[in-house]
Amino acid sequence: MNPEPTPDAPGPLPGDHAPPLWPHTLLAPGLAGAAVLSALAAPPLVGVGLALFAGAICIGSALTLARRVRRGERELHELDVRLLHSQKLAAIGELSSGIAHEINNPLAIITQEIDLARELFGQDACPAPEDLADIKDCLDQVGKQVARCCQITHKLLNFARKMEPVLQEEALEQVIEDMAVLVEREAAGRGVAIRRDYDQSLPPVRTDVPLLRQVILNLLTNAMHATPEGGTITLATCRQNGRAVIEVRDTGCGIPPENLPKVFDPFFTTKEPGKGTGLGLSLSHGIVARLGGNLTAQSAVGKGSVFTVSLPL
Amino acid sequence: MADPIRVLIVDDEERFRETLAKLLGRHGFVVREAGSGPAALELLGQAPCDVIVLDVKMPGMTGADALPLLRAACPEAEVLVLTGHASVDIASTMIAGGAADYLLKPCPTEELEGAIRAVYDRRQATRPR
Ligand SMILES: Nc1ncnc2c1ncn2[C@@H]1O[C@H](COP(=O)(O)OP(=O)(O)OP(=O)(O)O)[C@@H](O)[C@H]1O
Ligand SMILES: [Mg+2]
Repeated sequence: MNPEPTPDAPGPLPGDHAPPLWPHTLLAPGLAGAAVLSALAAPPLVGVGLALFAGAICIGSALTLARRVRRGERELHELDVRLLHSQKLAAIGELSSGIAHEINNPLAIITQEIDLARELFGQDACPAPEDLADIKDCLDQVGKQVARCCQITHKLLNFARKMEPVLQEEALEQVIEDMAVLVEREAAGRGVAIRRDYDQSLPPVRTDVPLLRQVILNLLTNAMHATPEGGTITLATCRQNGRAVIEVRDTGCGIPPENLPKVFDPFFTTKEPGKGTGLGLSLSHGIVARLGGNLTAQSAVGKGSVFTVSLPL
Repeated sequence: MADPIRVLIVDDEERFRETLAKLLGRHGFVVREAGSGPAALELLGQAPCDVIVLDVKMPGMTGADALPLLRAACPEAEVLVLTGHASVDIASTMIAGGAADYLLKPCPTEELEGAIRAVYDRRQATRPR
């Protein structure tokens, strides 16, 4: 069996001490040519000898060159493995520092609430009646912070799920509508209208419907949070360059140019602590990529944002 | 009796600030709180303090950005960095920027209080008034 290259400990690459190429590019053809020329003028027996000599030189040279090409390819592959390895390490580092921060904050609150509740309980475990409400408040807060941690770990588990998309034919409009009705009531409560602009001629797509629903819901929720009273969210579909395109447009606050490249990063959020995990868009981006499409964002501060999902048809 | 230690908590987690303020208040500290760097600067403009408990990851102005400004606004205060961000880089940047100590969240209140007293005592020892 072919041993897998061990990605955690790739050995040092051989240094750049390759032998020179000129014996193969100049000397060998030169010698072979000279032998052939002399063979033309020499008596037949010597001619055959010289031709054989020329052939031997060519074969030897070709073998050496082939070996070197193969070694070059192998080194390139090793380099690839190394690069991937270091990228993976960087990604893990970034992700774990993000997770640590997001979990440590609720844990810090829990720690303090417990400390305070213990103190209010007093030495003899018999709290003063006027402290009981505070103790209950501490316990409630512990519950809230635990829920916050769960939200983060559960969303993270979505990343870990390696599930293969299960493809089925479905009208894109239907997938979007399913999610639109979910948020419509809350949107109406906030004074935000949801408009539709569907391309009726779009054929059904073959996609993983539950995954795509999750993406749409994330985009819709974000749009709703960004849009003030009186604003509009527009859901549109169209066909572009042989792909099905979904747009979620809003007339919300927009995203400053310096934040735009970061919105797909895990844990990037501008929402208050505990309000947003910053995982919605990075999850959605991952899902759309798995469905063979891509998710992009455009935005103008004060005007609004457009999130575009394009899927293969 | 010694003067109470005046603490300023700078952290964007509202509940964290509130409960910490409550706990420290019960233990004899005089506490004020700010939810951001600019809010902290404003409070320091009103009255100085002895120890600033500073978070690192805050929207807008980060703790690292706020550190030099806070130190300029109140040179006599010691800064104690308290963050959920587990990174040696940030710790060393903050210490190099003049922070007195660095603690990782979650941190038991007793430990935090000990650290506040320690940086305060150290300041009293090195900069007698
Ligand atoms: N439609 C939008 N308009 C303006 N800003 C947006 C929009 N969508 C996303 N953003 C910005 O991108 C950030 C990241 O979005 P993302 O959905 O990944 O996380 P979140 O909404 O903050 O938290 P959650 O994990 O709960 O979804 C948001 O905090 C917000 O700043
Ligand atoms: Mg979101």
